[in-house]
Amino acid sequence: MTLAAGIDLGTGAVKAVLFDVSDGETKWLARSTERIRRRDPLVLAKQGYERILAGLDLDPELVDYVATTGDGENISFRTGHFYSMTTHAKGATYLRPGISAVIDIGALHGRAIATDDRGKVLTYKMTSQCASGSGQFLENIARYLGVALEEVGEISKTADNPETVSSICAVLAETDVINMISRGISTANILKGIHIAMASRLVKLLKSIKAREGIALLTGGLAVDEGLIEAMQEQVVEQKLKVKIVSHPDSIYAGAIGAALWGAFRHDKLLQVEHGVPSKDLHEYDAARPALAVDMGEESVACPLTSVVEPQSSTCPADQVLRSDSADKKT
Amino acid sequence: MALDEIVERCQDLYDDLDFKYIKQWKAAGSGRKAIGHMPVYVPREIVHAAGMLPVGILGGGDQLDVIHGDAYYQSYICRIPRSTIELAVTGRLDELDGMLFPSTCDVIRNLSGMWQLKFPDKLVRYFDVPQNFDLDVGGVFYTRELQLLRDQLAELGGREITDDDLRASIALYNENRRAIEALYAYRSAQPGQVPTPEVYLLMRAGMILPVDEHTRLIHDYIAAAKAVKRPVRDNCRVVVTGLFCEQPPLGLLKSIEMAGCYVVDDDFMLVARWLLEDVPTEGDPLKNLSDAFITYSVETSCKYVPVREDKGKFLIESVRRNRAEGVIFASPSFCDPALLDRPMLQKALTAQGIPYTAFKYAENSGQMQPIREQAGTFADSIKLWSAA
Repeated sequence: MTLAAGIDLGTGAVKAVLFDVSDGETKWLARSTERIRRRDPLVLAKQGYERILAGLDLDPELVDYVATTGDGENISFRTGHFYSMTTHAKGATYLRPGISAVIDIGALHGRAIATDDRGKVLTYKMTSQCASGSGQFLENIARYLGVALEEVGEISKTADNPETVSSICAVLAETDVINMISRGISTANILKGIHIAMASRLVKLLKSIKAREGIALLTGGLAVDEGLIEAMQEQVVEQKLKVKIVSHPDSIYAGAIGAALWGAFRHDKLLQVEHGVPSKDLHEYDAARPALAVDMGEESVACPLTSVVEPQSSTCPADQVLRSDSADKKT
Repeated sequence: MALDEIVERCQDLYDDLDFKYIKQWKAAGSGRKAIGHMPVYVPREIVHAAGMLPVGILGGGDQLDVIHGDAYYQSYICRIPRSTIELAVTGRLDELDGMLFPSTCDVIRNLSGMWQLKFPDKLVRYFDVPQNFDLDVGGVFYTRELQLLRDQLAELGGREITDDDLRASIALYNENRRAIEALYAYRSAQPGQVPTPEVYLLMRAGMILPVDEHTRLIHDYIAAAKAVKRPVRDNCRVVVTGLFCEQPPLGLLKSIEMAGCYVVDDDFMLVARWLLEDVPTEGDPLKNLSDAFITYSVETSCKYVPVREDKGKFLIESVRRNRAEGVIFASPSFCDPALLDRPMLQKALTAQGIPYTAFKYAENSGQMQPIREQAGTFADSIKLWSAA
């Protein structure tokens, strides 16, 4: 039994999860998410972690590995840190086995990642310095329009004549939006135009990593924005790709999930190196630890796009691949 | 001395672009003189034996605005000569009584010419080192170069530099190298206890402090570091190379560690680690220094490797000895020696199955996010996908 926590310190929110990985079985024990809203993200990370431990009445000493990702390199209680491409690829393959690509749309960056079944990053591309493919940009626009971020997707879907917005530069796009407001363009058409501009950039990223078919899972904070998902599906058709864009109710946790699963993997690997314990015996080695029985409850964020949302997997086949590989020392 | 105090002292010396310490040192005794030197190697023992303070001049770092320096060099030249000229023409190096320019590369050689034109009243010496490693050829040549330096410094100081002076200085530098070796061995054994930015600051302090004081400082640091308990991270172990001349910003070293890498060997301040064994303190001191250079000195991009197959062996031995899992090539932009050597070194690493990554920096690089991403993904690839 390996208990591993993953903490994804993003630009807009801090996500924390706890996993139990035993004999190839992966159990998601707890989760926590907190919007940063000008608070100290390091304090929020600690609070989020402590909250999931308190919810399970779990001694921190029992956690084998605390893995951070995103901007979590400064979290003092981390065991190790993994980079966002690495963790989003792993987290995405956990949430939706069989994908070939991940599109991570966070507050600051958008990135497309090509991955294999094990969650190994094959290649990736990020949006450039410009923020026009990011969640922060959308949040700014929503604020100008007086719309809550949660309402953006629903309103965007009612657009009947979307306006064209600059997809190159966030500053130009924001100027476009101010002009549109003064011209009396409807909020729905402005938002849809923004979604199309963002989707256009993100689908170009998919093309640049040569993801032309298969399934691409959206992760990050905007992965549940149904207006953006719809715009991306339209852009995929327009840019002549055969990629199926899907989301997942827990997409926002992908980075934290990936961090926790890689943390568990590293814990086992380090045990092997330190004690010469073969991977198949790791759980016997750790047998003294009491088993945890946990009810996850109903904390999941509901994704309205039921047609593309896949049910949450309780075990991660990709991780099983990793474990069998690690026994052969091919990981 | 407490750990924080030691690090703070080193940081203060590092931050001081006005070299106030030189003024203090000179004021503490009459007739004292200080001699500056550029990277990568000069025999500091001779400067010390002359009763003078050797001072490593390592550019202006990321806190110096280069206003005049850009007028002296083309845009495709690295930054260290520009910022060094800037230090000089703004009067910050006025306390130096001379300057040595080792044969690091053409740019540093040209800098010595500029110095001669700008500062005709100072001792300026382009210090050549052998690229032939036959004791009867390169050795004889180098002994003559050392004698010439000895004569020039004796003339500047107004007193003879005796063999006993040289032997005493050699003994002090032997002690210093042993202390540095102990520091590096401790970091390699327990990298979590010895952050590389602290090692760097300690090594930088040795570029201005008198050698015996620096030796004590290192011993104090090791004792203090052993007394504190620092968290052990799941980082991979890397050797960083290419930083031997233009200095990396401190933020770069912090970024590499933050990104999940423990640095277990490096090529900072090679002047202090150049000779790999003690120099004998018996016999002819200049011949001993020369023989040491010829027969047991480090391999670096500024030094010719006569046998093609030997290229990279030194780096590979460092990787093996320090149980490193990969190599980070961090080279200054436009650094001819580092960048021309890199493909050969990478080829040697590839042949041994040692992973590596490479990026460039300048001494005033401010944006560390790309470096963190690159070093971090490199660390991830080692931790998650290496066979070990």
